[in-house]
Amino acid sequence: MKAVKLQLATRTLLNPAAQQWAKVPAEEISLASTPLHQQPSPYVRAAWAGKPVGAVRFLKVQAAHNGKDIAFRLEWADETENRDHGDGSVFPDAAGVLFPLNRDAPLESMGSPEAPVNAWYWRANLPEGEGQNVIARGAGTAKETPKSFAQTRARWADGRWQVVLARPLTLDGEGVQLSPKQSTKVAFAVWEGSSQERAGLKSFSKSWRELEIR
Amino acid sequence: MAKTTQRKNGAKQQLAMVFDLNKCIGCQTCSVACKVLWTRDEGTDYQWWCTVNTQPGRGHPRDYETMGGGYREGVSQPGRRPTRQEWGGGWQFNYEEVLFGGKGQSVFLHHVGEKPQWGPNWDEDQGAGEYPNAYYFYLPRLCNHCTKPACLEACPRGAMYKREEDGIVLRDESRCRGYQFCLEACPYKKVYFNFLRNVSQQCIMCFPRVEQNVAPSCVRQCPGRAVWFGMLDDEEGPVAKLVRKWEVALPLHPEYGTEPNVFYIPPIGPARLNEDGSFDEGTPRIPTEYLESLFGPKVRTALDTLTADMTKTREGGKSELMDTLIAYWWKDMFKPYDRDPAEIQWK
Repeated sequence: MKAVKLQLATRTLLNPAAQQWAKVPAEEISLASTPLHQQPSPYVRAAWAGKPVGAVRFLKVQAAHNGKDIAFRLEWADETENRDHGDGSVFPDAAGVLFPLNRDAPLESMGSPEAPVNAWYWRANLPEGEGQNVIARGAGTAKETPKSFAQTRARWADGRWQVVLARPLTLDGEGVQLSPKQSTKVAFAVWEGSSQERAGLKSFSKSWRELEIR
Repeated sequence: MAKTTQRKNGAKQQLAMVFDLNKCIGCQTCSVACKVLWTRDEGTDYQWWCTVNTQPGRGHPRDYETMGGGYREGVSQPGRRPTRQEWGGGWQFNYEEVLFGGKGQSVFLHHVGEKPQWGPNWDEDQGAGEYPNAYYFYLPRLCNHCTKPACLEACPRGAMYKREEDGIVLRDESRCRGYQFCLEACPYKKVYFNFLRNVSQQCIMCFPRVEQNVAPSCVRQCPGRAVWFGMLDDEEGPVAKLVRKWEVALPLHPEYGTEPNVFYIPPIGPARLNEDGSFDEGTPRIPTEYLESLFGPKVRTALDTLTADMTKTREGGKSELMDTLIAYWWKDMFKPYDRDPAEIQWK
C-alpha cells in the first residue's frame, strides 16, 4: 500500500470526514482472529476456547502524509458504537497501527524481546484527540511510552467507525522512524468492544504489509 | 515464631484471617473502616473491598456465586464480570442541598439519579426460613488473597503478583490496562473496575499497615472480637490453630479451587422450635446442608468439634479452642500485628 503526499495541514488530515480523503487510494484489508494459543493468559486460553474472536473482518485503510506528519485513516463496519464500558458488560472499541522496529519482528506475537514492535493505538474512551504510543516485545508486554506522539480523531456514523491516527514521520523518542521515499512494514488491528474484545482478543491483518511512503 | 515453608506459588509465608460467624453482628464497622481508608478516590465510590452480607442472601455483587471463574480440577473456568447494576452502590445523594444549601429543615436526604436496585448490603436481615424457625447470619467478605489466585493467572500483562514474604496479592496499576480478565476469573467477584481510571482494583490487605505491624483496618476495627489475623505458618498462633489444628475454620466455597486464605468459623444457630414452643434439640435452625453449600463437606466435622467443646466447657471442662474463640485478650487475636496505628507517622 501507499502513503500519498498531500499539501494539507495535519488538522485536515486528522479529520476523518475531510473530503480530501476521498481522493486517497484505499485498500480493503481482510482481518483474521488472533490465534488463541498465542494468548499469554491460561484463563483467556481456557475461557475463549471455541468462542469467536475477531468480530471485524474487513478494514478499509488509507494513508497520506504532508512531509511532516503521516496519517492513517481506518474505516470499518460496526453496528455498536462502544465509547466506554457501558454498564460494565462491554469494552470501548479500539484500533491500532503496528510497525516493526526491527525488520524481522514477528507480527502474531507482537514482537519479541530482540525485535520489538511499535503500535499507535486509538481507543474510543481515550480523551478526545489522544492516542497512545506503545512498544511491545512479545504478547502481554505492550507498554505505553511517556510521550504519546499520536493524535487521533474518530467519528461513528451509519454503523461505521472512521478513525484517523496521525504522528510525525520522525520522532525524538521511542517509536518507528519514517521518512518519504522509503517503505516500511505495517499491520492493523481492530477491537470490537461489544464482543468483549480487548488485549490480545482482536482481529488483525494476518501478515505485515509493505507501505510505500511517497 | 513463624515457621517458613516454601509454597508452590512462591510465597514463603501466608497471611490469613479467620472470621467467627457466631460473633459477627453485621455492624459493618469492618466495611466502613476499609471504605474510609482505601476507597474514597475517584472511581472507587461503588467499591467496597470489604462487605458484610446476610446469609442466606444474594450477596454482593448480586448473585456473584453464579458468575463463574476459579478452577475445576485445576482448569480455569470461564467467568463473567458483574455489571454496574449487579454491584449497585456508589449512589449519589443530595448532600449539598440538605447539609450546605440551607434546606436541612425542609428537604429530606434522598438519592439523586437512577433509582438504586442493589447495593453492598441490599438484602440485610432477610435470611430464610419461616417464623419461628427463620434464620440468618452475617458473612464478611474481602479478597481471599488466594494461594492459587485466579485473578493473577488470568492477567495477560503480568500486572499482578503474590508477595513472597506474606502471600498478599497485589496489582501493579502501572501495568494494568483495565482488561478485567481478573474480574472474570475471580470466583468471589472481589475485584472492582475503576471506570474513571481504567484500572482494576481490590483489597490490598492493608499492606502498608501490615509492614508496620499494624493489623488490617477491617481486623483491628472489629468491635465484636470476631476476627483473627496472622501468619498461617505460625503454628502457635490462633489462625493456624483454628484452621489447621482444630480444623474449625473453613474457606468459603472451597470447590472454587483457588485456596482462599480467609477462613470462617461456621455459625451454630439455635435448635429448631417445635410447634408447642419446645426446642427440637439436634435439629439446627440453620440447615447443615446450607452451611455445607457454602463451606464444603468439612463443615460437618467443624460443627461437631465446636459443639463438643461447647458441651465440654458447659460441664466445667477446659477447652483451648473455646478460650481462643472467646478471645479474652483482644490483641492476642492479631499478634504480632498489634501495633497502635496512632503511634505511627504515616507518610
